[in-house]
Amino acid sequence: MNNPTNDGPIVRVHGVHKFFRRGSERLDVLNGVTLDVPEGEFLGLMGPSGSGKTTLLNLIAGLDKPSQGEVRVGDRLISAMSEGELAGWRTRHIGFIFQFYHLLPVLSAYENVELPLLLLPLSAAQRKQQATTALELVGLSDRVRHRPGQLSGGEQQRVGIARAIVTDPTLIVADEPTGDLDAHSAKEILDLLCELRQTLGKTILLVTHDPRAAERTNRLMHLDKGLLVEQRL
Amino acid sequence: MILKLLAVAVALMLLLWGIGKIPLSYNLRNLTVRWKTTLMTALAFTAVIALLTVMMAFVEGMKRMTEGTGRPDNVLVLSDGATDEGISNLPIGDLSEIENLPEVARAEDRPLASREAFMVAIQSAPTPSGGRPKRRFLQLRGIEDPRLTAWIHDLELLPGGSWFSEAGVQEAPADGDTPAPMIQAVLGEGVARELGRDRTPQQLAAAKKPDRLDVGDTFTLGNRTWIVVGVLDSAGSTFNSEIWAKRSLAAAMFGKENYTTLVLRAKDAETAKRLETFLAEGYEKAALNPKVELDFYKDLSETSAQFSYAIGFLAIVMSIGGIFGVMNTMFAAVGQRVGDIGVLRLLGFNRRQILVSFLLESLLIALIGGLLGCAIGSLSDGWTASSVVGGHGGGKFIVLQLAVDAEIIATGILLSLSMGLLGGLLPALSAMRLRPLDALR
Amino acid sequence: MKYFKLIFRNIGRNPLRSLLTSLVTIVLVFVVTMVWSILWLLDIVTTEKSENFQAMVTERWSAPSHIPLSYAEVLGRGAARNPGDVRPLDSMTWQFYIGTLDPEDPSSKNMMFTIACDPDKIAAVKEGKFTTMMEGLESLADGQEDQLIADVAKLKDAPRGIIVGQNHLKITNKRIGERFKLTGVSITKGLDLEFEIVAAFPPGRYDTMAVFNREYFNNELDAYPRSHNGQKHPLADRSLNLMVLKVADSAAFTRLASQIEKSPELSDPAIRCETMASGLASMLEMFRDLIWGMRWMLAPACLATILLVIANAISISVRERRLELAVLKVLGFRPYQIMVLVLGESILLGAGAGLVSAALSYGVINWGMGGIAFSIGFFDRFMVPVDAFWWGPAVGGLAALLGSFLPAWTARSVKVAEVFSKVA
Repeated sequence: MNNPTNDGPIVRVHGVHKFFRRGSERLDVLNGVTLDVPEGEFLGLMGPSGSGKTTLLNLIAGLDKPSQGEVRVGDRLISAMSEGELAGWRTRHIGFIFQFYHLLPVLSAYENVELPLLLLPLSAAQRKQQATTALELVGLSDRVRHRPGQLSGGEQQRVGIARAIVTDPTLIVADEPTGDLDAHSAKEILDLLCELRQTLGKTILLVTHDPRAAERTNRLMHLDKGLLVEQRL
Repeated sequence: MILKLLAVAVALMLLLWGIGKIPLSYNLRNLTVRWKTTLMTALAFTAVIALLTVMMAFVEGMKRMTEGTGRPDNVLVLSDGATDEGISNLPIGDLSEIENLPEVARAEDRPLASREAFMVAIQSAPTPSGGRPKRRFLQLRGIEDPRLTAWIHDLELLPGGSWFSEAGVQEAPADGDTPAPMIQAVLGEGVARELGRDRTPQQLAAAKKPDRLDVGDTFTLGNRTWIVVGVLDSAGSTFNSEIWAKRSLAAAMFGKENYTTLVLRAKDAETAKRLETFLAEGYEKAALNPKVELDFYKDLSETSAQFSYAIGFLAIVMSIGGIFGVMNTMFAAVGQRVGDIGVLRLLGFNRRQILVSFLLESLLIALIGGLLGCAIGSLSDGWTASSVVGGHGGGKFIVLQLAVDAEIIATGILLSLSMGLLGGLLPALSAMRLRPLDALR
Repeated sequence: MKYFKLIFRNIGRNPLRSLLTSLVTIVLVFVVTMVWSILWLLDIVTTEKSENFQAMVTERWSAPSHIPLSYAEVLGRGAARNPGDVRPLDSMTWQFYIGTLDPEDPSSKNMMFTIACDPDKIAAVKEGKFTTMMEGLESLADGQEDQLIADVAKLKDAPRGIIVGQNHLKITNKRIGERFKLTGVSITKGLDLEFEIVAAFPPGRYDTMAVFNREYFNNELDAYPRSHNGQKHPLADRSLNLMVLKVADSAAFTRLASQIEKSPELSDPAIRCETMASGLASMLEMFRDLIWGMRWMLAPACLATILLVIANAISISVRERRLELAVLKVLGFRPYQIMVLVLGESILLGAGAGLVSAALSYGVINWGMGGIAFSIGFFDRFMVPVDAFWWGPAVGGLAALLGSFLPAWTARSVKVAEVFSKVA
């Protein structure tokens, strides 16, 4: 499947600062964060609200740019890419999983999963095959025609995961994927993420509050006051 | 022209569809999920487009009528200064000299010329339901030789009819209560229909044709009874609204002592043009206003140009209804789908594709409404309506048939799509400007 | 009052939507106002009057009407022959004179339609009271009446004087006191007249009407043969187009009409005597399909569009505010109060926009454009009546009421539990 050209870490964050301006006030969110994520790692990121977890995630996913420092994913220096380039890049390299699933309500599970494939030069048959495979992987083969409104929270999140992996991205970023789920569904989702990592060798970046979710990662980092602290290897 | 523009518009739409990566089914589903809003917006388009289609069909019918009358090799001669048959007054003495000009074609050693007296007669229309007495303006053409006149104007009788006799009258039936002889008349089909409406239910029950007067039917005009001897196959020309009768009878009744019109058949169109010029500039015995017949009737369609301006004005004004209506809808759609837009952007859809998607959605609403409007407006095809053509001091009362053609439909759809585009643009731009992260917050 | 405030706030909530919706209403009510202004006048002139009853005499069988001027005297006494016959209270002769300002370009923009008549019939003071034979002038303000009386006096003094409409001042580009020349066209071709503008009609109904002393016209007609090899003008024997007679009431009219139509003095050509309203209605008969289309297609299509746009805007607002409406219900608002809240917002918006539109059309059309140019029969310009100030808000408000009824009903029946369950 995905073959990065170099053997080094798949994500390299180097000396990243990020601040926002609110009027004349300057709000420092990240103060010199450096982080390497090797391929196939399931990395957990924890921290109190406002600690900059999501900001860091956004920078790595190419949704935002650092005020200072470099972000590399695979062999690309994404902190230097234009917005237009980033949009195309995200499709191929990043799979997103959100707390509130963010599925398009009018599209069926299958169509939601197929959506990112429409941006790639694939034939209809190829799209169908990839989307079906992804849905099979998350165990939703029997619910492909259902709309998000007809699915439970856990099922919706599984559709979200299928959508995230369907383009075979370099990196999967998950922002509180279990935050809106009951304990049972949350466990199922975490099982699924672990399985993806084990069977497909996916690199996963997980932002969470939930200690049960954090437990499942193979490395856990803590972000506090804009600085990154390793908690557990 | 319009068809080409429409082709361009459709091509643009297809292009948008082609470059848009967000599936059209996404837009269609959203439209059906919010079907009430979609329907109301589309119906506003329908109202505007249906109305415009009917109005354009009216103008088209008027144009067809005035442009469908007249031949390029006929020259219509009126008196100087008269732009309208009704006020023309030709001195009788000069006519035969003009008729015998070498440019005028001949048959059986007779010049092919028709002397006519056009007049507007007032008829007190019977009012079976009581109420205010109605009257009607009937266009009467007094002529000498109906066969010759009809031949010059390219007209024939519908089957079963005949021309009026040399005397122009016939005996009233012995048991009738009108001892005076009846005046024979040949009716245009349109006026036969109009007069046919006056019949009482009993008359209608006995009538040969329920929709119009036919040979043998009678009507009253100027205190006399007139009998229909023939009906002209005149659909599509202004003669459709005329009554033809013996000039000597009609003129005496309605006070037209002189001829109003002389129609000359020239040898060909080129000769007709020459004859027109000669009569206007070279002929010195009388001041005349000659005109190639085809041009004369074309000038009457100036009235339809005025209607076209009015329709243009209304189209612009009413479009504002459609544009702002769809703008409301699309702004609401954007507002409601901020989350969708955010996700799409995160997944890698770029700004242009968001723009295209929302534009297509607005165009879709416009297309649905426009098509429905065209369909409803097209029902008017074939309706008959009366109108007055030609301006000041005269004018002809005509009965025309509304006509919807491909160009009108194309105009309707084109206008509809333009409204959709204009109305959808701002909301689509606002959707495009949304930043993905803000959108998901 | 608080309630009102809430409604106002809601209108201001989504200013863009409120703005777009009111613009649609303004523009379309503008069209409706134009159409109705035309129909309004046509309806007024074709409605039978109960007072100021006027009869119109025209040629019976032939159009356009041309009757001998010698009929005027007989008609003036109502063709009364026997004692006890009804006599008209007053009468006025109308002789049309149509001319162009530019003989090189006799198109309609240079055309002037004038009436030769007896100046005393335009306006006079009889027994201390202002009287006129011209419909529409009887409702002038006092100051305007005095002015008109003075103007008519000037017209009587100036043999070539003319009182013109406001519109003529524009097209001739002349002021009161100046002269202009008309070249006769159509039926009055061959008669070229020169006029001195002595006054102008007050703005309104008579903006495109001009009147001058009939003596000037008839003298010119009589003099015509001298410059034309002794040939009479075609109009010479039939220069009277119509005669207006004033009668007391409809009973008197019926008798008068029968006297006139049966009079042997008035039999060749035969004439017709009918009420003014009926005569004008007959003339408009030629335009019946056009009028029908304006009344039953154009105006309704505009109304339907307004209704749909408002309905749409309000239903969007209701959908967006479901949560809020549910909260209001929790706070104890009754269903009808919620309904009134939604209806109130929409009606206020519609009626407000309608009022703005009415004011706009009144100003723009009457002052800016000099009326709606729409030539139909005798009429070629229509003013927006003051009544538009109630049509506008009424039309806007009513369309809004109808349009927002369903959305308001939806709002009224918002199920609190449902809304909250969706949110949670």
